[in-house]
Amino acid sequence: MEQTHQYALSGYLIALADDELILGHRVSEWTGHAPILEEDIAFANLALDEIGHAKLWYELAADLLGEDKYRYPDQLVYFREPAQFRNLQLVELPKGDWAYSTLRQYLFDAFETLRLGALSQSPYTPLAEIAARIRTEELYHLRHSQAWIPRLALGTEGSAHRMQAALDTLWPYAQALAAPLPGEQDLHAAGIVPSSAALFARWRAEVEQFLTGAGLQVNLHFPISDLSRISHSQHFPALIHDLQTVARLDPEATW
Amino acid sequence: MSDTQWPRYMVFQQEGPDQPVVHNGTIHAPDAELAMLNARDVFVRRPEAVQLWVVLADVIFTQTQEELSKAEPVDQSTSQLVDYHVFAKFAQQAQCRQVGQVQASSPQAAVQAAIATFADKQPLWWWVFPVSAVHKNESSEADPMFSAARYKTFKDQAEYPVVTMMRELRNKANHEDTESTK
Repeated sequence: MEQTHQYALSGYLIALADDELILGHRVSEWTGHAPILEEDIAFANLALDEIGHAKLWYELAADLLGEDKYRYPDQLVYFREPAQFRNLQLVELPKGDWAYSTLRQYLFDAFETLRLGALSQSPYTPLAEIAARIRTEELYHLRHSQAWIPRLALGTEGSAHRMQAALDTLWPYAQALAAPLPGEQDLHAAGIVPSSAALFARWRAEVEQFLTGAGLQVNLHFPISDLSRISHSQHFPALIHDLQTVARLDPEATW
Repeated sequence: MSDTQWPRYMVFQQEGPDQPVVHNGTIHAPDAELAMLNARDVFVRRPEAVQLWVVLADVIFTQTQEELSKAEPVDQSTSQLVDYHVFAKFAQQAQCRQVGQVQASSPQAAVQAAIATFADKQPLWWWVFPVSAVHKNESSEADPMFSAARYKTFKDQAEYPVVTMMRELRNKANHEDTESTK
């Protein structure tokens, strides 16, 4: 692969990894707080999986940049400032209630499954191999989050109301899935990665049909002004503080 | 007050294509599909699983040797035969494991049929349930459900030698204490 593409791909992967890391962190906040023990364990597993995916992408980014595969992911996770993270706002919003977290998981998993399917066909083999491996797990995540949507949305009046409220809040943020990732334009032109806009069109058709089938109404109440991965919500600095405090107490410590 | 507890499902796991299905534990779930997902998340931490079954606990008929000795004679009618899975527990510490299948017209008759069919077995406890009561994963679902555990060794408690580590730390601390009091 050409050097410019290597550099572009490392930025692209770091953004993907940031999504997984931050979502994993939010999911991990359910540990000990989920509405039932079985789902508590399921969410803890989910959090570990997402953070594991982040690690795989950070490591590949390190390889592409000629950085140390063991140290570089920790550098990125623990020693970047909030403004340097490239995740979607969708994944950083506070965990909300359980309907909200489950719906966010579904929206993200459904998109991720499509993207990983495309990435697993990439001519750049290391990328394709990791994508295929992560996709196997995403299929399970999707099955899990997908199972809960109609059960909550068609459950009691209370659960249906919470699910609709979650969708109304999250849907505008989910539009940012259509925005290109860093470096995507060049990488897509070279056939290395898919176009987010094209994936988004497929995602939107699939997700709208599924949500409507579960009795939910898909409304775009207010547009989000900034869909880029540059700006973050007011909630983000506190999340990063939680994530980084211990590591920053002793940056040289070995774990 | 209404009962808000979800029904109980028994979880059975098969570790390899030639292995018997064994009882692994119990979970609560609102329905069979979520029982399957919960069973995967709670029990499948090791990669050996090739199949999971979930069965509503209420449909499992159990009889211990002691109960059998006091049981009323069973109607052995051959009408309305259905297939039953037969499981048996051979020791207090052992898991209940798959023995085979019988056809019977009732759960009680299925236990009698099991005793007749598997005459060489002397279990402490028989479990029978209709084959139709089993919810199992499709083989196409096996990879997403089970393969992750193969490389996720961090989910295995054996990965964390905490006891050994704590003992070493304690020994070291004790040693330093002894040194400093010299």
